[in-house]
Amino acid sequence: MFLPKYITKFSRWIGTAAALAGIVLLSGCFWLDGPQSTFDPSGPVARRQMDLFYTTCWVSLVIFVVVGSVLAYAMIKFRARGEADEHAEPPEQAHGNPLVEISLIGASVLSLVIIAIPTLSGIWYSFDVPVEDKADTYEITATGYQWWFKFDYLSETAQTLDPSGKLVNAPFSTANELVIPAGRPIHINLRTVDVIHSFWIPKLAGKVDMMPNRGNHLWLRSDKPGYFWGQCAEFCGESHAVMRFRVIALGPKEFNDWVNAQMAPARKVTLTAGTDAGQAKAQFAEYRAFRRNEAGYSNTFDVSPLDAWRAKQVPPATGENPALIQKGRELFAAKTCSSCHTVRGDGYIGVVGPELTHVGARSTIAAGLLENDRDELHRWIHAPNEVKPGNTMWVAGYLANGIKLTPEDEDALVNYLQSLK
Amino acid sequence: MEALAKTDFLAKGEQAAKPLVLWRPTAKTGLMGWLTTVDHKKIGFLYGISALFFFIFGGFEALLIRIQLAVPNNSFLTSAQYSEMFTMHGTTMIFLVVMPMGAAFFNFIMPLQIGARDVAFPRLNAFSFWTFLVGAIIVNLGWFMKDGAPDAGWFGYAPLTTRHFSPTHAIDMWVMGLQLLGVASIAAALNFIVTIINLRAPGMTMMRLPVFTWMTLFTSFLIVLSFPAITIALIEIMMDRLFGTNFFEVSNGGLPILWQHLFWIFGHPEVYILILPAMGIISEILPTFSRKPLFGYPIVVFSGASIGFLGFGVWSHHMFTTGMGTTATAAFALMTMAIAVPTGVKIFNWIGTLWNGHLTMRTPMMFAIGFLWMFMIGGLSGVMHSAAPSDAEQHGSYFIVAHFHYVLIGGSLFALFAGIHYWFPLMFGRRVSEFWGKASFWLVFIGFNVTFFPMHFLGMEGMPRRTFTYDGDMGWNVGNLISTVGAFILAIGVAVYFVTMIYTFFKGEVTTKDPWDARTLEWSLPNPPPEYNFRVIPTVHARDGWWYEKRHKGEIAKEEAEHAKAEDSHGGIHMPFQSIYPFLASVGILVGAIGVAVIDPANTTQYPGFWGPKVAVTILGGLIMFVSIVLWALEGNDGYHIHLNEDGSIKSEDFHSGH
Repeated sequence: MFLPKYITKFSRWIGTAAALAGIVLLSGCFWLDGPQSTFDPSGPVARRQMDLFYTTCWVSLVIFVVVGSVLAYAMIKFRARGEADEHAEPPEQAHGNPLVEISLIGASVLSLVIIAIPTLSGIWYSFDVPVEDKADTYEITATGYQWWFKFDYLSETAQTLDPSGKLVNAPFSTANELVIPAGRPIHINLRTVDVIHSFWIPKLAGKVDMMPNRGNHLWLRSDKPGYFWGQCAEFCGESHAVMRFRVIALGPKEFNDWVNAQMAPARKVTLTAGTDAGQAKAQFAEYRAFRRNEAGYSNTFDVSPLDAWRAKQVPPATGENPALIQKGRELFAAKTCSSCHTVRGDGYIGVVGPELTHVGARSTIAAGLLENDRDELHRWIHAPNEVKPGNTMWVAGYLANGIKLTPEDEDALVNYLQSLK
Repeated sequence: MEALAKTDFLAKGEQAAKPLVLWRPTAKTGLMGWLTTVDHKKIGFLYGISALFFFIFGGFEALLIRIQLAVPNNSFLTSAQYSEMFTMHGTTMIFLVVMPMGAAFFNFIMPLQIGARDVAFPRLNAFSFWTFLVGAIIVNLGWFMKDGAPDAGWFGYAPLTTRHFSPTHAIDMWVMGLQLLGVASIAAALNFIVTIINLRAPGMTMMRLPVFTWMTLFTSFLIVLSFPAITIALIEIMMDRLFGTNFFEVSNGGLPILWQHLFWIFGHPEVYILILPAMGIISEILPTFSRKPLFGYPIVVFSGASIGFLGFGVWSHHMFTTGMGTTATAAFALMTMAIAVPTGVKIFNWIGTLWNGHLTMRTPMMFAIGFLWMFMIGGLSGVMHSAAPSDAEQHGSYFIVAHFHYVLIGGSLFALFAGIHYWFPLMFGRRVSEFWGKASFWLVFIGFNVTFFPMHFLGMEGMPRRTFTYDGDMGWNVGNLISTVGAFILAIGVAVYFVTMIYTFFKGEVTTKDPWDARTLEWSLPNPPPEYNFRVIPTVHARDGWWYEKRHKGEIAKEEAEHAKAEDSHGGIHMPFQSIYPFLASVGILVGAIGVAVIDPANTTQYPGFWGPKVAVTILGGLIMFVSIVLWALEGNDGYHIHLNEDGSIKSEDFHSGH
């Protein structure tokens, strides 16, 4: 195609300029402080890792600008200008310049040394709790399951029934929401019962994998009380994308209160002034219907997730129906939920699925996926496969045992589980 | 063997038609021509067409992924479908697109660059292609079956790939397909190594080899040395799945970390297998379009060798989060940083090639310079990963996805696209339109960057990879949407590129010989080259042999005349016979692979004991393969001779002399 020379000349550069500008501008649109953003570290391990990232970023940027400028200069300065130039005698057939080569190799090695030193110190720092802090460490074991997380609190004990029915004291466990004391180093042993998972709380620490037959661990600390998002970061099957969890860091007093609440057996709701006796059957139409993979969160929750979590710790002032809750408790056994789930104090000791003794106090269910409110809990119980495709509760529970739940059943179970504060 | 072939099957004075199964096919066109070809140029073409066909597959898989991720909580694909998409997108693009595209160039161009008439083992070359095709079929069979396509990721981590967690045949097909692709690659690599070492024209010393040929050599060594590791890993997982062994069976003490080590000892050299050919192509294009030699040739060659060598020492940087301990993590971090040095050196030398040149911005040059920019970005994000503590946040996130797409698309694919444009006149005698070539470049360049640059940010904002959905309150919505839009721009660019190529193949402007005024020997041939390549095997006097020939025409003409007379008096140009057995052996492998991977084990009440359809089909396939190979050996490695007219057309073909 024949175009006037100046248009051809400019059009080459307009294209490049537009592309580069576009990239830069588009990137600026991003919100860098989302719930899982690594740009907003809230603990020393993540902060050390982010500092190293910035170091590599700066070194890379300098290299890119320097080398890129030379390349850009060469592209412009040495371009053949017009037809005549293209068929002219070729330029001097230079073969190389050893001095240039050696100095460039030296400069490359130097810039790598700048990255290597903080890399090495970072490797040692992030591996385990620093010696001076070891005494203060709080230990937890996190176990990955397809597709949820179990947390064993090794230094606490609670009363529970062992498989033979005897009352014993054992470290209690929770699921999917990791509550930790803020300001203390946390040593987390990482295990898995099935495939490889990875434990990642971006704002607190880089991930370490949970590998079968391998005793991995990581350590972290949350500087202050806070609420953090986490997610499994190694492909582990159909519901990998929806295997998430939350971390709640609390000050010493609040953490102690939480531990004591956890150690207690399941809450029982009896008839009092605040409860509704003999209430008419609940309207089931009030439960929302969800389409597959619809969002499980609401905007109000994100405004202050830590406050929302705190609100979940206390029972509601009104609205609990003891009769319905008791019916739910009975259905929990009748519908074989107890064969997989533990509810300490109600005599349910299943260990296949998440521990549910205080599930009503969690801000999310289904492994950090759904807000823990009546509609979402109903959604989960009603059609688990729509929420987490292939999940064990559906496949090995409902399908394998032909479990059917009527709307009344589901309503009773929702009320029961929500009462387990 | 030779004596056996000559006296038992080729009686003196008889024609090429031989006793029954040992007849040598002579069809040059039509279906039989293609099935029996041993011509490296035709085989290269077959590899290229297959790669471009699978590129469309892999591209669709990518678009479906991007549609699903365009908005949060999307239900365009189910999770199971999404797992198939990202698994097959990765497997297809790596094994069925970039590797065969590289093989296409190795096959077509490398023998021409060293002044040879074909590769050292022409029938083995054909076998490599047909076995590649069988592997490609096996890996994609799942799409047409109830079991579904492979869905455990392109690196298939155990124990997710054990029978317990992946009970269907989808993974069996993945394992078997990959195994066969490995067989094809290793056979081809051995062929190329022997060719480069043994079949160079007189005067073509190693330090006069074109850089593309050097990269062919290094890539072939990488293939031969790294594929055994994945071969072992695949055999182990296959034995776990079929025979109940416990390599990765966790409940019986198996160690999934072993799979990762074996896979990545292959997997890391594999990515250098993907990029070294690209670097070779760039090293040919930049000098041609700068009209000066490659800057620092010995250092560029040595860097290629260093990258290949050091590439075996960095594999666990894919495993920084597996809890290897401080010492191992530190060692691999430092080694990974070290390998950045030879890579950087190459970039400096390519820029040095441009320096003081006369740059002509034709389409191949634009893709090549685009490669330089994109590979810089991809390489630097790789350096960011090498800082292991930083990688603890980046691993398993979109930051990694961004990095490897920058080096694989911005690097390998740009170079391959450049190479197709560059060598199109040589291969097909037609020249691609500059306007459409540049249009496709800009669309691809812009689309690619809009797709993948945001992923750096998505990764650092905590978005894990291989996730079929995400919530809308994570801050990832804008980035994902932009990325999807970019993917469609990229798709349009690729479509324009493809349509341009297809159009040019049939109706493009016919070109003169050596339209780019290039430097290496392949351009001394007519476009397209005749079946026998060189009328006279050239004598090479310098690096950039063709550039020298063009400037010393008299000397070369005299040499050629002498050598032509000598070759003719020795019986003419020696050409290899075609053969059907490489193809038939691959058919046997296809049948056997279906037996192993697809058919259910016998129902023991119906088929008591060991036998059943699975075993029967496997044995049948094995028999077909075995008999084909035996006949392949028995038909002998003789060839025929051709005599040429002055203008290069074939005067006569002589099947008499047998050897």
